[in-house]
This record gives sequence, structure tokens and C-alpha cells, in this order.
Amino acid sequence: MSPRGLVSLPVPAGPVRLTRRRLIALAALAPVAGAALSACDGASGSSGPDPLIALARAARDDAELIGAAITASPALTDRLTPARQARTDHAAALETEVARLAGGTPAPATPATSTAPPANPTTASVLASLKKSANDAGALVATLPAARVGLVAGVAACCAAYTVVLS
Amino acid sequence: MSGPAQQRASVDQASIDALQDVLETEHAALWAYSLIVAYLPTDLAERARGDSDAHRTLRGLIEQTLSDVGARPVSALPSYKPPTPVTDGPTAEQLAVVAETDTLAAWRSVLERTTDKPLRAAALDALVSGTVRCMQWRSSAGLTPVVPTFPGRTP
Repeated sequence: MSPRGLVSLPVPAGPVRLTRRRLIALAALAPVAGAALSACDGASGSSGPDPLIALARAARDDAELIGAAITASPALTDRLTPARQARTDHAAALETEVARLAGGTPAPATPATSTAPPANPTTASVLASLKKSANDAGALVATLPAARVGLVAGVAACCAAYTVVLS
Repeated sequence: MSGPAQQRASVDQASIDALQDVLETEHAALWAYSLIVAYLPTDLAERARGDSDAHRTLRGLIEQTLSDVGARPVSALPSYKPPTPVTDGPTAEQLAVVAETDTLAAWRSVLERTTDKPLRAAALDALVSGTVRCMQWRSSAGLTPVVPTFPGRTP
């Protein structure tokens, strides 16, 4: 199925500047990202580790957690496997982006502060972890450069949608 | 010192262009939903109406935003051409998937074309809610994975 089926885009030009009162009104629609903005102010400097490293690690951790949940309850296999795959794909994409910026080749993120998955992970623990992953990715959206923001916002949206699927 | 200068911000042309583009896809989505409702069984028609309302809200906010920054919002076309003709329930569900996928791509593009924080926040919210709608229609249409792994990414 061709995804961009309905619209081919002509773009009219328009005059440019004014106050952004209404942009703020548009943003008032956005509770998730509204929280993200305050969390992100001041954290946009280029010093410090690449913020996508933590997201990649979280994606690996989620995949591992989901795998453990499936092992604990094989009946959950069909329900949880797509989320595990998605998080594995997220990790790979994020690692590629980290490597691109660092000028190296992608390597799987390794857990620095290894928080071992709970002994008997359940759908509830998967849900909580995905929710956190969605929030953490969303919190970066305000400040990331154009080349990375689409990927990270997509990761946030995908995780958020899985929390709906698994609720 | 926080004078009026801090209250003002320019919205650059790239942001305006991105908003016009996403407005186009919102127009198209609304048209799509108006078309498909008639082909869907009651429960799905109900969902389609709800989703249509969500797009109407987004459209209104985009139009208002564009007007406020002095740009004239693009108008809807009289009709759009679905990639597959809608003749029954399944083809109607497919068009819902197309419409939601289109809008996801346009909202992602807004994120990539603006650095305005309120606008990015709004676009992220639209991407999140749109991904859920897309997921539900993909599920109905029997597509996997049900949740798009990279919402808004064009293949």
C-alpha cells in the first residue's frame, strides 16, 4: 500500500513574523510534550554524552525485558513479540544515528548501570517500561536537531502506542 | 530583564511551509473519513467519526495558527484520489490507513522543519495521537506490525 496517497503538496508562500500566541495555543493540546519542554530547557548543550545513547540502551533493555516476560509466560508470545521487535529495531536505528554523529560504526548499546530485569516480568512491568521510554524520548523532542528529531519522536510515538495496545 | 522582546518570536518560513503541508494532509484525511464512513460497519463507522473529529480539531488549530502568524491557510481540494478505489469495508479501512499514514508523515516533517518549541510540542502530540489512530486502522485492515515502528517515516 502506498502510504502517501492522497496529497501532493503545493506550498503557497506567506508573510512571516508575529507573536506566537497561537502557536502556544496549538501546543496547549500537547500535555506529553508540554511536560517535555520544561524537562528539556537548559539541557540542550552539546557537551555531555549523546542523549540518544540512553535511548538506545532503553530500547535494548525493553526488548530484553519483553523477552523475559515471554519466557516467563509463553502464552504472551503473540501479544508481546511485535513490541520486542519494535524496540529491537529502535535500538538499531538509534545506535546507527549515534554512530553517524560520532563518525564510527554502530555498536549495540551496552547497559552501563546494569539494572537487571525483574525476576518475573509481567505485562504490567513491560507497560511501565514502555511508558517511561515514550516519555524519555518525548522529552528530547524540543531540543534535538532536525536530522534526529523525527526518529526520536517516532520512537516516542511508537512506544506510546504500544502502551495503548498492551493496556 | 524580560521585556517585550522576550514575548515575541518569529516563526520562520520553513515552519509556516510545514504547517501548510500538514494542513493539506489534514484536509485530505477529513475528506477520506467523510468518504469511508458510509462503507464501514457501525462500530468502525463510530470510530471513523471520532477520528474525523480529532482531525477537525487539528485542522482548526493549524488554520488558526497560520492566520495568527499572517499566513493564509491553504484550502481543501474539492476531492482527492485514493490510491485504491473505495468500494467496501476493507478498502475503506485501507484508505483510513493511508490517511493516517499521510498525516503522520506530515507531522513528522513539521518536527524536522521547525525549531519552535511550542510547535514541536504540538507536532509530537499529533504524532502520538495519530500513531494510535493509525494503529487501530492497521489492526482492522489486518496489517502488521499493527503499530508502525517508525511513525511518519516514509519508506
